[in-house]
Amino acid sequence: MHHARFARLVGLALFVCSSLFSVPAFAQIDFSGLWTVRYHEDQPERSPGGELGDYTGLPLNDAARLRADSWDAALYGLKEWQCRPHGSTYMWRSVHPVRISKDIEPITGDVTALHANFDDLIDRVIYLDGRPHPPEEAPHTWAGFSTGKWEGNMLTVTTTHLKEYIIRRDGVPLSDRTTMVEHWLRHDDYLTVVQIVTDPVYFTEPFIQSTDFVLDPTRLRDTPELCEMEEETDHPAGWVPHRLPGTTTDAEEFAKKYKLPVEAARGGAETMYPDYLKKLKQAGQR
Amino acid sequence: MPRVLMVAILAGVGLAGSIPLLAHHSFAATYFEDKTQTVEGDLVQFVFRNPHSFVHLEAPDEKGEMQRWAVEWGSGMQLSTQGLTATALKAGDHVIVVGSPGRNAEDHRLRMKSITRPKDGWKWNGQFN
Repeated sequence: MHHARFARLVGLALFVCSSLFSVPAFAQIDFSGLWTVRYHEDQPERSPGGELGDYTGLPLNDAARLRADSWDAALYGLKEWQCRPHGSTYMWRSVHPVRISKDIEPITGDVTALHANFDDLIDRVIYLDGRPHPPEEAPHTWAGFSTGKWEGNMLTVTTTHLKEYIIRRDGVPLSDRTTMVEHWLRHDDYLTVVQIVTDPVYFTEPFIQSTDFVLDPTRLRDTPELCEMEEETDHPAGWVPHRLPGTTTDAEEFAKKYKLPVEAARGGAETMYPDYLKKLKQAGQR
Repeated sequence: MPRVLMVAILAGVGLAGSIPLLAHHSFAATYFEDKTQTVEGDLVQFVFRNPHSFVHLEAPDEKGEMQRWAVEWGSGMQLSTQGLTATALKAGDHVIVVGSPGRNAEDHRLRMKSITRPKDGWKWNGQFN
């Protein structure tokens, strides 16, 4: 009897101690809050937008060059295009801050999903409940379908089912077969998002970039900016802005402006690495 | 620190502090931003909206032929913060617009740099994203 009571007391003591001093099996960082953009980071890419013919730093192929060369920014003047949001691949580099919130399962307290909301233009849901991605034929959206997995304090997000979009606002395309892996890292009030974008149609290797944000605790509410569609310029119905291949000199102009060889302005994986400088020097171009 | 560098840094801080929204298309890809064109004519329509407002006016081109010009301006939200409202301009107003010309000449499109209404001296010049 005494032994049984002692055993129960020891058991209770162990339970209390384990409750007091236990730690989760894996740590998770709270990303909740309004994260504001650092516009000075790659500033020309942010607000004003890239220059035509600038394909530097992109692992694009000839098909992507052809599409970008014939792309016309006037597309965004079409009523059908004016209120399109950026896709998830571009949104981190846009002018929009991101509000991150979480869905909590009321019984267990588990965080089942995160929302990355960019000015209500897109609300990305990152499922953390282990669900699979939908089949290939499921609809593609601007946000795509995202699942997340904790790796220590880093959240790794995998996104599929994206719509065709652009990676740079000079028309370099991304196909709807693009997938994206992101690593979200928080250091105090700084958020860093590393994107690894893979496109089997237009890239020869993954495109990688990181973007930083700062927590803004002062912005408690957002003012939605409603978009209104309106004819901007006079054109016949059905007009599609375009430029015929071979008729543009953007690459030459961009290269001349920044004193680059035209070949370097045309981008491609080879031009992205330090060895390329050596090649240019050997060719006497730099 | 050289004064020029200090001014450049302060200008950069000022720009970084502004909050542009819905900057969809690249201005550099749409307009010749290093060029300036002036058009003078009568306002047909002022569309005060997001993502960008537009001033439409009838004015002659370089050849003297009358054209309808579409002048792109800031978003309604941005212009509101600068004190402008949807009633700032009215159809029939005679205005002088200075802007960056569009890359497609046949579009007769400009990116607003300044607009003046000589009748009462009303003027706007500034920046928008």
